[in-house]
Amino acid sequence: MQIATRTNNDIHIVAITGSMDSGTSPEAQKALDGVLASARKVVLDFSGLDYISSAGLRVLLGVAKKLKGSGGTLRMFGLNQSVKEVFEISGFATILSVYPSEAEALAAM
Amino acid sequence: MRHGFRMSVGAHADGVGKLNAAFAGLAETHALPDAVRRSVNVALDELLANKLSHGMADRDAGSAKVEVQVQLDEERLTVTITDDGPGFDPFGQAEPDTTLSVEEREIGGLGIHLVRKLMDEVSYERRDGKNVVVLVKQLVVAEEKNLREES
Repeated sequence: MQIATRTNNDIHIVAITGSMDSGTSPEAQKALDGVLASARKVVLDFSGLDYISSAGLRVLLGVAKKLKGSGGTLRMFGLNQSVKEVFEISGFATILSVYPSEAEALAAM
Repeated sequence: MRHGFRMSVGAHADGVGKLNAAFAGLAETHALPDAVRRSVNVALDELLANKLSHGMADRDAGSAKVEVQVQLDEERLTVTITDDGPGFDPFGQAEPDTTLSVEEREIGGLGIHLVRKLMDEVSYERRDGKNVVVLVKQLVVAEEKNLREES
């Protein structure tokens, strides 16, 4: 898994490449905690995310809860069909804000 | 023609990494569709992570072993996961409520729920003092199969 962060004005865009599973999620958690220390507007770029298991969903839920608590915003885009399927089965598709493209995710901030 | 592998892995992150590498090799060699490969990757991660939290966590890394067998034929991929830990049926747990809001959400039980939904068949049995979990993912979708049988 690789994590790259860039900023667009006050929006932090975090690209997660590879998988978010029980092996990689602690690292993702740490990186996202670092971003959340200063960011209130976060966009997750999942265009390079291969698959996500419940360990990864747990990390995303934590990020969503923290941002909601601090009045921040969380958007995500670029989910492949398998990640979408996991979001739908778990009900995350309805509690997280998912957009087809980066432009649409940014426009919704 | 049957293909596949059998390996004994430690029920911890290193074990999952080795297993993922072996499975990635099989998927590449046999050009498994991404959707199938990813579903199986998720299921393997859930079940091995589940092992860590139910009964194997107190063992040292050397003795906490899970045997994983992956078999591939023309129609299906079958994964058999066997361990000699205390009896535990992962599919015997309550289904999580997937309709709750962000604030109310907890993650417990979600992993096994994913396995149930992503695989076509799941089963558990306690056999000869071991836990045996079998997962099946069909490679040929039902419609294609019907067409082939009709032709």
